[in-house]
Amino acid sequence: MPEKEDKSLEDATLFMSEYIATLMGSGVHTSRVVRNSRRMAESLGLEMQLSVFHRTVILNMEKGCYSSSKIVEVPTLPINFRYNSELSGLSWEAFDRRLPLEEIRSKYEKIVSAAPLNHNIVMLMAASANASFCRLFSGDWLSTLIVFIAAIVGFRVRRILTRRHTDFHLTILSSAFLVSLIASSSLLFNTTADIAITTSVLYLIPGVPLINGVIDIVEGYILCGFARLTKAMLIIFCIAIGLSLTLWIVKNGLI
Amino acid sequence: MIIIWKIIQDALFAAIAGMGFGAISNPPLKAFPYIALLAATGHSFRYTLMEYVGIDIALASLAASLLIGFGSLWLGGKSKYPITVPAIPALLPMVPGKLAYNTVFSIIMFLQTINVPEEHGKYLYMLMDNGFLSLTIIFFLALGVAVPIAIFPKKAYSLTRRRF
Repeated sequence: MPEKEDKSLEDATLFMSEYIATLMGSGVHTSRVVRNSRRMAESLGLEMQLSVFHRTVILNMEKGCYSSSKIVEVPTLPINFRYNSELSGLSWEAFDRRLPLEEIRSKYEKIVSAAPLNHNIVMLMAASANASFCRLFSGDWLSTLIVFIAAIVGFRVRRILTRRHTDFHLTILSSAFLVSLIASSSLLFNTTADIAITTSVLYLIPGVPLINGVIDIVEGYILCGFARLTKAMLIIFCIAIGLSLTLWIVKNGLI
Repeated sequence: MIIIWKIIQDALFAAIAGMGFGAISNPPLKAFPYIALLAATGHSFRYTLMEYVGIDIALASLAASLLIGFGSLWLGGKSKYPITVPAIPALLPMVPGKLAYNTVFSIIMFLQTINVPEEHGKYLYMLMDNGFLSLTIIFFLALGVAVPIAIFPKKAYSLTRRRF
């Protein structure tokens, strides 16, 4: 294989492995990852084969009779719908305009280096969402306020624990325990305390992996789908344990 | 008049919930109005079906998720976002979180009442009830996104394509 060809195929494989890892790690459902990557590879004049698992992806790129393979480790990233949207758009742009690899890479870097939403705004929005849930479940205004405050504290604590690299499941369990414990202060008032306690932890429910898991299964990526659902079930289990600790303390019972 | 007010209230709180839970997943800023619109429409539709038409929560969730899925496909043509970007955050307020952890509670209580047959049976029933219901609802919510993709694959796959 000529050296130049060899280098370009290797560079393309390296870039594709990063692109795929970012998509998979940030919670894009599997068929979209495969479609976007295939389109991107096609734009570079390459053929691509993928074998996708939850934690690793086996990537093979071919040009004529030459091929380059890589096993890609999927990083654990926060779910990011902006990547989903913009990296998908990038694959179309690369395909339609036949962009060279350097230009695709610089656009990719620009997308992944953009700042995420402000943490405090996200925290207030998530707490408002949780408070809205309390209202949707017929909680009164006092319960709604308590749930709002509890969610803010829980969000903050979760961030601190994540920054200290505390075990992920332990972080979820502690957050659920703390949030529900704060929400249980509603028992001191004449308010809808049960609704406040049970809705306080709902913001921790892993809705995105649950829905992505089923989409994967329906679209034929059954292993990935079950892996996502299993991960989501483990999170739900941790939430339930955290919440049950509170319920044992304040109510001496679970249901 | 009270019914309409209740439906509007449901839509309003669902919009806040959709945007808030969606914000955790870092959607593009310009997607928030679409998320709010879809969450409000879908959730209030489910509420109406359950409260005033008498449809059960699972089928009502299916109808609402299909509304969100097709709505997201239609809006995606204008917004250039993939169908899942506004649809999944809009579906989040309907994810049966409470039923899901009630399922885990039932498992714990089932194990704790192994020597009390009458209680034991009750928790087994609760486990099946909550478990089946939450699984069915989650499956139906995901169908809301999968069905529009299956019916209109060409459109769904090229929503992020721009003209150059």
